[in-house]
Amino acid sequence: MLGDPLFRNGVDWGDFAVMGVKVVVAFVLLLVATMFMVWFERKFIADMQNRIGPNVAGPWGILQTFADGVKFFFKEDLRPANADPLVFRLAPYISAVTAFLAFSIVPIGGVFRDGEADTGTVTLFGKVTYLQVADPPIGILLLLAVSSIAVYGVMLAGWSSGSKYPLLGSVRASAQAISYEAALGMSVVAVVLLAGSLSTHDITAGQAGGVRTWYVLSAGIVPFVIFLIAATAELNRPPFDLVEAEQELVGGFHTEYSSIRFALFFLAEFMNVVTMSAIMVTLFFGGPAGPVLFGMTWFWPTVWFFAKVLVFLAMFIWFRATLPRLRYDQLMNLGWKVLIPLALGWLLVRATILQVDEGTIDPVIAIIVGILAAGACFLLFTAALTAGDRAYERDQALQEQALQEQALQERAVQDQALQERAVQEQAVQEREGSR
Amino acid sequence: MSIASRQVSARLAAGESILRMSEAEAEVVEGVIDPEDETMIMNMGPQHPSTHGVLRILLELNGENVLRSKPIIGYLHTGMEKTAESLTYVQGATNVTRMDYASPLFNELAFSLAVEELLGIEIPERATWIRMMMTELNRMASHLLFLASNGMDLGAVGMMLYGWKEREEILRFFETVTGLRMNHNYIRPGGVAADLPDGWEDGVARILVALPKRLEEFDTLMTGQPIWRDRTQGVGLITTPEAVALGATGPILRSTGAAWDLRRDQPYLAYDQVDFDVVVGTYGDTFDRYAIRLNEIRESMRIVEQCLEMMPTGDYRTQDPKVTPPPRARIDESMEALIHHFKIFTEGFHVPEGEAYAAVESPRGELGCYIVSDGSPKPLRMHIRAPSFVNLQTVPHMLTGGMIADAVAIISSVDPIMGEVDR
Amino acid sequence: MGYLNGFKVTFARLFEDRVTTEFPAEKRPKPVRFHGRHVLNRHEDGMEKCIGCELCAGVCPAKCIHVRGADNPLDDPVSPGERYGFVYEINYLRCIHCDMCVEACPTEAITESKILEFSFTNRDDAIYTKQELVVDDEGRPRHQPWELWMEGEDEHLSGWMRATAPSGAAAFEGRVGWSGDLGHGVRPPEEGQTAADEFEGAEETEAAT
Repeated sequence: MLGDPLFRNGVDWGDFAVMGVKVVVAFVLLLVATMFMVWFERKFIADMQNRIGPNVAGPWGILQTFADGVKFFFKEDLRPANADPLVFRLAPYISAVTAFLAFSIVPIGGVFRDGEADTGTVTLFGKVTYLQVADPPIGILLLLAVSSIAVYGVMLAGWSSGSKYPLLGSVRASAQAISYEAALGMSVVAVVLLAGSLSTHDITAGQAGGVRTWYVLSAGIVPFVIFLIAATAELNRPPFDLVEAEQELVGGFHTEYSSIRFALFFLAEFMNVVTMSAIMVTLFFGGPAGPVLFGMTWFWPTVWFFAKVLVFLAMFIWFRATLPRLRYDQLMNLGWKVLIPLALGWLLVRATILQVDEGTIDPVIAIIVGILAAGACFLLFTAALTAGDRAYERDQALQEQALQEQALQERAVQDQALQERAVQEQAVQEREGSR
Repeated sequence: MSIASRQVSARLAAGESILRMSEAEAEVVEGVIDPEDETMIMNMGPQHPSTHGVLRILLELNGENVLRSKPIIGYLHTGMEKTAESLTYVQGATNVTRMDYASPLFNELAFSLAVEELLGIEIPERATWIRMMMTELNRMASHLLFLASNGMDLGAVGMMLYGWKEREEILRFFETVTGLRMNHNYIRPGGVAADLPDGWEDGVARILVALPKRLEEFDTLMTGQPIWRDRTQGVGLITTPEAVALGATGPILRSTGAAWDLRRDQPYLAYDQVDFDVVVGTYGDTFDRYAIRLNEIRESMRIVEQCLEMMPTGDYRTQDPKVTPPPRARIDESMEALIHHFKIFTEGFHVPEGEAYAAVESPRGELGCYIVSDGSPKPLRMHIRAPSFVNLQTVPHMLTGGMIADAVAIISSVDPIMGEVDR
Repeated sequence: MGYLNGFKVTFARLFEDRVTTEFPAEKRPKPVRFHGRHVLNRHEDGMEKCIGCELCAGVCPAKCIHVRGADNPLDDPVSPGERYGFVYEINYLRCIHCDMCVEACPTEAITESKILEFSFTNRDDAIYTKQELVVDDEGRPRHQPWELWMEGEDEHLSGWMRATAPSGAAAFEGRVGWSGDLGHGVRPPEEGQTAADEFEGAEETEAAT
């Protein structure tokens, strides 16, 4: 609630230095983590497919990403003739910068103790501070805002390429991002409700009292599941990788990109995977919470944090290895008809339980009102869906009718042409006959 | 308005389609076509990750929905039918085997059956059974390749390698028998090129033991996966009359519920002596075609098992001296044998005048070989009824009304091999 | 839950053996009948087996073999008999490894080795001349600089030839119908085919009665 202790007693040059160090460390850490993620994905999925994976560059091929990056630098940077020059060049940076920004609010260490007023701090150069680049009071909102901006990178890239496959990819990207952003936000609200704060530091501090207090359990498992699914869609990871579905859209939004611009998209994508895993750990799995085994107290939380992140990274890869891709309409159905109502409903339920716990509402009344509200919601929802379906069917019928009419017209035209030809032939025959 | 553009607009008004037009003509056409029309023409292929080689499909899209489509072929035309006219019947198998490269033995089989029909020779029983076993193994390999590419096309990347891995086991067995993984030149007019090697029973048994477990894994990964079912069920529908009208055969026809399988309905080789079921579908959708192929692997395994038990002994090539060169041990003993050896390998054998058509049930449908002979050692004309080519005709029909993602699933479910389509 | 069952399958795969080989470092074993690049064999006394009959060139469906025969010099014959292969070239940009030449060769002069890993970088190297094809004095293929060899791959040169030798006659299976090779002697026939053995026995009893 108090914000970073670093800034509490005015700002001096030492604070600037600490901030500078934190920014650089976070930048390097994320970059290394991303390179590791790319390698880890290739190696892990290779294991799941009885292959070996990259193994030439460095020990176990761990420098493969580095080698690829160097290669990208030296490739020719192509721009299609039809592309919009400015936007085409700008789009990769939007993607990459937002990917870096989102990580700044994640606390990656610090010992959190339950009930302490000023917990989760470390001492850097004699300055007491949080182990995260920034702790804005609107923390989670910043994440949502930044991830919405990231969509612009993808959308503009596809639109500005002046090519059809990227255009379809960018259309898919914007639709997908809008639908799943809503579900993502709704599932976070349940956590915010319990934490009573939007700040990621406070959310982490709220889970310091052991596994029981982790929001994955105390908020009920539902928000986590919704967040996981929505995050996978938000990241364009399989099974929701429609934006760059190779088998359908060749490369999706980045079909026309080459060289370092492509590398930026590639980097941003994997960076987002790392960031989203970190956010998930922060929101639902206690962040750096975990037992301090021996020795350095400040060291263990960071280890726990990255161990948890690694589990999620593996999970994303596992998704990719197992699940087939959804179709565009199925994706929309899942987002709008399942995840958003579920997230909303669960939010109401959790809020009611919270109120009952605090004794503000009588449980019996809550249950009765709840059932009534649920019934009403269900009815409204079904009505909306049926109305939608009916409108769709009507449209289809109209379209079909139009098609039939067109076919009839075409046939009439053809018949006419045939008749004309017959008349002509007859005339020719007659002429020949008269000769 | 120029004369040419006037002609163009006249033709368009008459409902005809135009293949190519200049910019000036296009401007005229813009006046003819509804300017409110917001459809997009998109080229899928010839270089596209999921068009199985060099198939090109022209899609007219309304957003993601496919309004019309048109497959365009010819990018892999190699003139194999023409090449066949300059190769003797002895060399012919090396040529035909390259058409459907995913199931090469079927091409050789169809070619050999047609030549044997013209020659009027009987082939030894062992050769028949070897042919049957090898082609059934080839069917399994081909269907495994389908499962791999189908999984990949629908985004299940793991399936691609799982399918290829099992296929590789079969190809390894082929390698021990024929010396090559693909394009074997193994089934020849008159029999097969070589006897099965020592220990072939173990090789086959290894495949038969390992595969059922894998097929069950595929069932869990795909058949039982709700996302997979959503993606394939009700997609790319076709009915029996439509399939028949378009000439579709194989899994596409069987998916509509029509139980038409040449192995059962026009038995060739020794299919009337083995016990197997013809797998049929009900709805004629992509899922049915997938399930039929998956279960045909199981049926093929049944046939191979019976071949393993019932494999007769004896010659593996007809001992008609006109068709088969003499055994090597005889070349050194007999001048006639040597002369004969020379004649067969240079001139080839003469095939009586006439024409013959032989059809086999390849993994993709009816694969027919039609040969016209003028009595010389080379065919006057050879034509292949390629199932991929004919089945491709169903694609525009099935694509209409679907989405781009469905288009990928449908093309994949037709399983065209472009080498065979373009020949 | 159908959604989750697949995860078990992919997870179980983590603990299975790798099926890929690390190719340039190791190669998978080749079967006896494998079709690799050709070699020209020599008799046990060192003379070349090729008699320049051009049968291989005639039967080749890809037309990749170029042979010209010449009369043996009387004082220093290259091959036993009248003629020998004066020019012998195989164009590996055309060769399809169908093995028709091996089947056609009346003297078992041309056979196929197990070597298939060669990547030449120009068209001259693609055409193997007689000097490159003829086996060396120990009866082994000559190692070209652009070929990747592993131990033991230069043996078993003619497994396929032996397999095709009976021309389909069960009675001739396992019967040696070829001359010895330099460095190897008369190679044994391919491991007996079980079914053929049975058949041969049956025929012998038939002949006795």
